[in-house]
Amino acid sequence: MRSVDIIKESDESISLRFLGFPRQYINTLRRFALNEVPIMAVDDVVLHYNSSPMHDEILVHRIGLIPLKTEIGRFVSADECSCKSNLGCSKCRVMIYLDVEAKDKTRQVLSSDIVSEDDIVKPISPNIPIVILAKGQKIKLEGYARLGSGKMHAKWQAATVSVLKEVDTSKDEYILNIESVGSLTSREILLESVRILVEKLKSFENSINKLREEKEYAKSTM
Amino acid sequence: MENNYWPIIYDLLQREGIARQHLTSYNEFIEYGLQSIIDEVGEIEIENAEYPYKIRLGRVKLQQPGVMELDGSITRTTPLEARLRNITYSSPIMLECEVVEDNKIIELKYIHIGDLPVMVKSNICVLNSIPENNLLENGEDPRDPGGYFIINGSEKVIIGLEDLSYNKIIVGKEEVSGSIVYSAKIYSSIVGYRAKLELIMKKDGDIVAKIPNSPVDIPLIVLMRALGLESDKDIADAISVKTEIQDELETSFENVQDITNTREAIAYISKRIAPGMLEEFQIRRAETLLDWSLLPHLGKNVENRIEKALFIGEAACKLIELKLGWIEQDDKDHYGNKVIKFAGHMLADLFRTAFRNLVRDMKYQLERSGQKRGINTVMAAVRPGIITDKLNNAIATGNWGRGRVGVTQLLDRTNYLSTISHLRRIQSPLSRSQPNFEARELHPTHFGRICPSETPEGANCGLVKNLALSAVISVSVHTAEIIEKLYELGVIHINDASNEIKANGCKIFVDGRLIGFTADGVSLANKLRFLRRNNKIHPHTSIAYSQYNNPNATKRLYINCNAGRILRPLIVLNNGKNPIDDKMLEKIIKKNLSWEDLLEMGMIELIDANEEENCYIALSPSQITEKHTHLEIFPSAILGVAASLIPYPEHNQSPRNTYESAMAKQSLGFSTPVMNFNSYVRQHFMVYPQVPLVNTKALSLLGLNDRPTGQNCIVAVLSYECYNIEDAIVVNKSSVERGLARSFFYRVYEGEAKQYPGGMKDNFEIPSVDDNIRGFRGERVYRLLESDGVVMSEAVVEGGDILIGRTSPPRFIEEYKEFETRGPYRRDTSIGVRPSENGVVDSVIMTQSTDGGKLYKVRVRDMRIPEIGDKFASRHGQKGVIGMLMKQEDMPYTEDGIVPDVIINPHAFPSRMTVGQFMESLTGKAAALAGRFVDGTAFVGEKSEDIKPILERYGFKHTGKEIMYDGRTGKKFPVDVFIGVVYYQKLHHMVADKIHARARGQVQMLTKQPTEGRARGGGLRFGEMERDCLIAYGASMVLKDRLLEESDKSDILVCERCGLLAYYDMKQRKYTCRICGDKAKVSPIIVAYAFKLLLQEMLSLNIAPRVIIKDKV
Repeated sequence: MRSVDIIKESDESISLRFLGFPRQYINTLRRFALNEVPIMAVDDVVLHYNSSPMHDEILVHRIGLIPLKTEIGRFVSADECSCKSNLGCSKCRVMIYLDVEAKDKTRQVLSSDIVSEDDIVKPISPNIPIVILAKGQKIKLEGYARLGSGKMHAKWQAATVSVLKEVDTSKDEYILNIESVGSLTSREILLESVRILVEKLKSFENSINKLREEKEYAKSTM
Repeated sequence: MENNYWPIIYDLLQREGIARQHLTSYNEFIEYGLQSIIDEVGEIEIENAEYPYKIRLGRVKLQQPGVMELDGSITRTTPLEARLRNITYSSPIMLECEVVEDNKIIELKYIHIGDLPVMVKSNICVLNSIPENNLLENGEDPRDPGGYFIINGSEKVIIGLEDLSYNKIIVGKEEVSGSIVYSAKIYSSIVGYRAKLELIMKKDGDIVAKIPNSPVDIPLIVLMRALGLESDKDIADAISVKTEIQDELETSFENVQDITNTREAIAYISKRIAPGMLEEFQIRRAETLLDWSLLPHLGKNVENRIEKALFIGEAACKLIELKLGWIEQDDKDHYGNKVIKFAGHMLADLFRTAFRNLVRDMKYQLERSGQKRGINTVMAAVRPGIITDKLNNAIATGNWGRGRVGVTQLLDRTNYLSTISHLRRIQSPLSRSQPNFEARELHPTHFGRICPSETPEGANCGLVKNLALSAVISVSVHTAEIIEKLYELGVIHINDASNEIKANGCKIFVDGRLIGFTADGVSLANKLRFLRRNNKIHPHTSIAYSQYNNPNATKRLYINCNAGRILRPLIVLNNGKNPIDDKMLEKIIKKNLSWEDLLEMGMIELIDANEEENCYIALSPSQITEKHTHLEIFPSAILGVAASLIPYPEHNQSPRNTYESAMAKQSLGFSTPVMNFNSYVRQHFMVYPQVPLVNTKALSLLGLNDRPTGQNCIVAVLSYECYNIEDAIVVNKSSVERGLARSFFYRVYEGEAKQYPGGMKDNFEIPSVDDNIRGFRGERVYRLLESDGVVMSEAVVEGGDILIGRTSPPRFIEEYKEFETRGPYRRDTSIGVRPSENGVVDSVIMTQSTDGGKLYKVRVRDMRIPEIGDKFASRHGQKGVIGMLMKQEDMPYTEDGIVPDVIINPHAFPSRMTVGQFMESLTGKAAALAGRFVDGTAFVGEKSEDIKPILERYGFKHTGKEIMYDGRTGKKFPVDVFIGVVYYQKLHHMVADKIHARARGQVQMLTKQPTEGRARGGGLRFGEMERDCLIAYGASMVLKDRLLEESDKSDILVCERCGLLAYYDMKQRKYTCRICGDKAKVSPIIVAYAFKLLLQEMLSLNIAPRVIIKDKV
């Protein structure tokens, strides 16, 4: 008896019960939610001006960590893109701008100050603090958000929590729990993980088939 | 524990500050010490044949801190400016000088006699007048404790120096070659001068005195007689009126029967200390000895001699009592017998000699010149450099003269904790190469004064100490008032005392000086204490009554007024009643009442180690009985600053707290809020420091919560794929990518354009190939320089890149060579990034040094992301390096999806017994769940029983264990895993600073062997033991390869006939041996260059080493 049912679901988190599936498959989904599902994050930053007390490296690191809302399938990752350009094109990157100055009093720069050229790819929350500027200090930068996976850097992790729980190992009963960072909904993360799994299995199958074909070809020509 | 008087300690430390002991000592020096040293000289007599006159020295004044610029103008300096410009933060000393002739003042003027380094935040420091809120705007950390000096831009602390109490008779016995020798020692001391007197009882009972400047021992009786006690009875009575004691003097009297009066006694001494001189001169020497070298604290005049005799009598009395077994020998390690010398005291020593040098120099110059007298002549004779240079030099190098080295140290700015701990450090003068076991041990009198945990390991263990939080250092109290009070209270003067009271009464000493007798010492002590509690006498006065078990022993009451004793506050109990109630505490918390008010009201008092011997102290209110005299204020205040940051230290094995106390000083954090202003050569700065969830009371008091040095990490205790074996830790790579333990390292490079005699100077410029510059390093390294010759900010630099382009004139001016086509060359003295470092140029500062040259300071920053090999530690002496950075999906997880930041190996615990870390882990978890801080203060912290319900309320097990899954397989671990929140510190030992490898590279000039050390790109030594291995194995080719081919292989020429070194003569194109001439047979051989060097060195010693060579086969 195999079954999968959703115990609980919201945009942020999803809980599923798996019955009769091997643990390895579910664990793969758990891991893919963390390290394979691609989302957008700021990758390259051109810093025009920074007179804040925060060093450039840290400022840029903080901007990179701000989760951006991502739409599945709209973008391709930079190295797979047909543009082959360093700067990227509209298919593989989104530009964001940050240009803030504390004119007359101390000012906190928040994620809402980030201007994106895309309507959807934007910080998931307007209230993420970036830096506090004292009077007269200024920041001006442009950033390139790209698609990436958790494997490359933690800023591209789609899920914060991804847990596989044992309920009854004799019946292969497991619970999978995924919580989203906010770039994608939890369901999207799950489905994307499944898609990647299927894709990877397919490419695995393909390579095996290729091997077999080569062998058969070799045999036939002998 | 129901002891909750923490607010008192809090108030005390907050008001007094962390470095109070340095500041009071220094302030006392500038207020009184300086003047008293000058008064000691009083006047300078100019013994001029024609018109002798005097220079009378008057008041001394200190001006505002300032520095004299090259053009002679004076700039007012602030500590910040001093640090940035590499100048000394000092204040001109102005001395009132009067030219006096025939007792008439002719002229008067304030003369600048030198500069006194100013202690930061002392009374004469400019920061003293700036309100704390405005300090930040002035580029100063408002929490900076001060208490240090700034010499040539670097911060120096004069470490507190522990010393035996002055002017106190310390008796002891020692076994010398089988027999017991009894001795009484006195370190007599006045400002800046110290003389030791020792009385020794020999085997036969004869007592002799050892006096400085006297080559021979002087019999006690002779000495006392010389001091003016003529009759035997007077001498014997001065020692003691008790017959048992007087009987012991028999041998001493017998040995010097023939000397019967003072004149003869002085003659006796004079013959022995200055044999072979004129009699008149001998007598003078003897009298100087008596007045200057003997007990100078009692005075240096003839009229003090009787008092000196009485003092020596008391020393002899104590000595004999010890011999009779009536009293015990004094404990040298008892903290009542110790004083601590701080900056003021040390500077007084130094200033005294410097000032005397100045006076001597002035006298010499004025007498030699024989010019017209007048204040302007005097002014011209003053060379302020004598004092300024002496003081600056001593503080800069820590060299105090007379072999005292290491007195000052560079202030530790690794983090805020290391700074304040450094300011509270105390050094013992005892040698670290000798065992000195007793001196290193923790003494009961250290309780509440010296931290029991914070001491280094190794050679300095127990010799370097740190003040406890509750320690207060005494200031000097006016003795005259105390003595007056004593006579008012019915103390009988020595001269008026009857034999009865002398025999059975109590001797009264003020600062070691016998001032009289009283019948009942205990009641007098109580009366005095009553006066002290009623604010009639100074609270730092110590009143200690000493009574021994033997009823014969003389009773003594010691009243001490000297500075440098360690006091500690205690609550005074009145017949077992505690005067401080909750209402009172409430007022203290609200700051309506200060600890000083309590002191004035007599509810608390300051007790030194001697007086504590008379006290019976309850640890907590519940223990109080009728007999108790005092109540402990707060038990955890016995710890020092470093130990009080450890949560639950009472649950740890004690050495672990010691390790942590040392390690906390290496942790990186937020050391100062003005990090963008500071110009420390090396500085670290953690990007996201956190306040520990498990806090201690002292942390917020010391300001460590505003200057934290670590982060709260989720820590699982688990072995993980061998990556955390042997104290390694596995760290979550994703956490690191999110900024865990990220820090910056700053290094400041500086370059100054010096001016040389002959009008030549250094230039800041971009050295160019065309300019005939020696040592040009190739275009590439200068690429980042801007037109002013200095690197642009935010430039990414790597090892070898030039930051400051500078050229200098030739080192030696060469004679002009007619045929040389090229003109005079310049040297490239550019300053580049260290070869093994890289980073980003953070800031460039240009200023002017006091020599008038341009001074550049370039700060390079380097972001340090944790990597394998970086060192971390919890607060329990549990250190380890990162063994693996593991991705989040591979890390174990709990059912809630919590992934640890750190995985520590369970083997770290059984043998080390750091249970405190488990407590922290557990309570830290509860703190994270409940959203509040947990108090883990020693002895009074929140107990785990109180924490358990919190954990259970949030659905966790009270044991801290949780079900965990393997991140790679999703399999449940067969056992539950202990996981919680532990505060981890990043220590400043980072792989980036240590990684090093070399293939081929630099060699030493002298030996042609590879250089040593990472900074010079050196090789790794193939040492003797490694050599032994290859020999044993028989790998001769490898051996030759390592020790010759890849080291200092060289071809040399040897003459086969004489065996000495030969050479190839280029002009004659011929192999030559200077010894054998035409008969020479020169052959090349391969040897180590070091061997060739040896041959030549031997030749230089007139030894002819001959190398005899034969053909192989």
